[in-house]
Amino acid sequence: MTLPPHISLPGKKRVAGPDRSPVYAMVGNPNCGKTTLFNALTGLRQKVGNYPGVTIEKKIGEAFSQHGRPMKVIDLPGAYSLAARSPDEAVLRDVLLGRRTDTPQPDRIICVVDASNLERNLYLAHQILDLGRPVIVVLNMMDVAHAAGHRIDPKKLEESLGVPVIPCEAIRGKGLVELRLAMSRAELPLARHRWDVPAPIAPAVADLQASLVQNDNRPPLVARAEALLLLTDFDTVRVAGSTPLSDRTHEILAHWRQRWEGEGTDWSATLIRSRYDAINRLCADVIRRTGAQGPSLSDRIDAALVHSLWGWLFFGAVMATLFFSIFTLAEYPMNWIDAHMAALSSWVKGAMSAGDLRDLLTDGVIAGVGGIVVFLPQILILFFFVGLLESTGYMARAAFLMDRPMSKVGLHGKSFIPLLGSYACAIPGIMATRTIENAKDRLVTILVAPLMSCSARLPVYLLMIATLLPSTAVPTTTKAAIMLLMYALGTLGAFGFAWLFKRTLFQSAPPLMIMELPPYQRPHLREILRQMIERGWLFLKNAGTIILGISIVLWFLTAYPKNPDPAATPDAKIAYSLAGRAGKILEPAIKPLGFDWRIGIGLVTSFAAREVFVSSTAVVFNVQHFAGGKRAEVTPLRAALRAATWPDGAALFTPLVCFTLMVYYVFAMQCMSTVAIVKRETNSWRWPLFQIAYMTGTAWILCFILYQTGRALGF
Amino acid sequence: MSRSPFNLRLPLCQLAAGATGRICEITGDESFAQRLREMGFGEAALVTKISGTTTSLCHVNGTRLALNHDAAKSVLVELLPLGAR
Repeated sequence: MTLPPHISLPGKKRVAGPDRSPVYAMVGNPNCGKTTLFNALTGLRQKVGNYPGVTIEKKIGEAFSQHGRPMKVIDLPGAYSLAARSPDEAVLRDVLLGRRTDTPQPDRIICVVDASNLERNLYLAHQILDLGRPVIVVLNMMDVAHAAGHRIDPKKLEESLGVPVIPCEAIRGKGLVELRLAMSRAELPLARHRWDVPAPIAPAVADLQASLVQNDNRPPLVARAEALLLLTDFDTVRVAGSTPLSDRTHEILAHWRQRWEGEGTDWSATLIRSRYDAINRLCADVIRRTGAQGPSLSDRIDAALVHSLWGWLFFGAVMATLFFSIFTLAEYPMNWIDAHMAALSSWVKGAMSAGDLRDLLTDGVIAGVGGIVVFLPQILILFFFVGLLESTGYMARAAFLMDRPMSKVGLHGKSFIPLLGSYACAIPGIMATRTIENAKDRLVTILVAPLMSCSARLPVYLLMIATLLPSTAVPTTTKAAIMLLMYALGTLGAFGFAWLFKRTLFQSAPPLMIMELPPYQRPHLREILRQMIERGWLFLKNAGTIILGISIVLWFLTAYPKNPDPAATPDAKIAYSLAGRAGKILEPAIKPLGFDWRIGIGLVTSFAAREVFVSSTAVVFNVQHFAGGKRAEVTPLRAALRAATWPDGAALFTPLVCFTLMVYYVFAMQCMSTVAIVKRETNSWRWPLFQIAYMTGTAWILCFILYQTGRALGF
Repeated sequence: MSRSPFNLRLPLCQLAAGATGRICEITGDESFAQRLREMGFGEAALVTKISGTTTSLCHVNGTRLALNHDAAKSVLVELLPLGAR
């Protein structure tokens, strides 16, 4: 590809050597279609969303040049500015400035801009061009811009910026060939000079630039860009892995800040304004707007969907459909999986001779992993819905509506999305908190998210309701009402604790939120399915590794040490095992709640995953019945629980105990995977440990009050 | 920024739905004010309120932006006559 005449090559050329494939970084505002373009270029499986900032992890893909040479492409988080305000944006800034040791500084940058909102998108592009690296500007969503009456002249924009500008419609694959051609070029031009730093600020920029070159080893051009950034950013948001600036640079920065504050100059506003002025001049040149525009389709849909009455009705309907699907539609595939796991287990039992290995396979591996895999349908359905809500643009509207109720407890609308996700599983919920800018708000959301009743509590609730209420005498609505009560308790707990934390541990100014509501789009089913499969696969991988390991360990704990008496009843065998002993040690602590050591085993094993309670009580209680020697007569678990007694003959699972146990599961923190993810996200052991303490402590205290009051009242 | 005595200055949260204003001042948290400016929500920008009193939904520069109550309180706008846009 030959260079257009207006693009001049600078003296110093960045040539991608023949020995090494060039590294491209892909950057852009949230919702500019960057991720779709990344997928189209690399074919790598990756998530696409409409909610600002879904792309969070560092994603690296491989694309091929026109000549078949591989090129690396890093997909960076969406951001509005290099002056970072959230961990996401800090990652973007640090990678581009070469401050991260774990990621190579990209050789070239692909800057994706939304053509339908050129001014705002060019703000980031403008900062990127300052970095002095070769940049390719991709004008994405040209069709949307056209529909909105914006006629953009890419050639003119190319002339003004001095870098290649490629018009594109990523969603339809238009412009990809041209982009690949531009990426394949051995040499890319550097941007021409576009704007002058306002005169009062220029000396500070020069000062900081000199210091960055001298004390922080920055190349001069990067140093200038970083100096400009420091004046609007103050380097406040720091993330793990980025190298700190030298003391001398900090001193110079402090000196200038002090001086301006004395003079009353608002230098950061001046900088932003002068950049926007330059952008507006540029846009006046390249955009022609045709005719006055009436309200767009999105505006008309929003008139109903964020309406104070219709909006809430629609939101209620969406939530109802979501829960209905998770709890009813998922039942069919779940029963199917259950039946096949049981069949597999009995096949293994028949095919192998009795012994430890067989028990390990059936009671440990199949029961443990099967118990988790059975939730796959629910998780897939939830991810499908979340994907659908994100892909259509409705998720941001839901967050908008929920902002008001959330503000009552000191959080804002953006915290709603993680909490919603936590109804399925706290892990994706906690990962979704990364778009919350304020560190304190983010931490509070992480701390309360596991209180939302996740799908793993469902089997425990179901078992307890079944034990509590004889199946035929009680109408289904009563059971549903108890179930709903548990969900409501968890939700109230989450909101209550958020309120409490925001007033005590994490006191801060009222949260400020600004959130973009992207235009509505037709959902891209292929992207949603791709994302569903990707997440489902991650879940299965977890089940196949961590949970498999835990299941084996748990089986070992319930099987060893072996009771020396070979004629011992299974009950006595369990009591003799390590798990049994642990349960006995635990008994004094849980007896005031009405739980015995056998329930204690269930509580301990629940740390693997809450639903393990069901399989471990099945082991502990069902085997007792076999003690009588009638092997053929396997009592269903529910009946076994109803028959269980204390040593003095009193019933163990009284309705009060069943109810108390459910409340315990609503509040207690019993999930190792959540502990691990909280540790990773907060970068310390302090918060997961605090979370275990406050949640389990609350569970114990509430259950103590509930059980003792119930007893006193004669239940 | 100069303002005519006839023009009413009010926080964005009090702007009526459908009304258009010109942003004249952003008060409060400095770093948040900066983010607003960087998103094109700076002084002199025209903003049209779509709906909301607690959480405001506005149109600025062709994008829909939602601000929560505390954020909208910190933005002072100058009411423009109908059809000024």
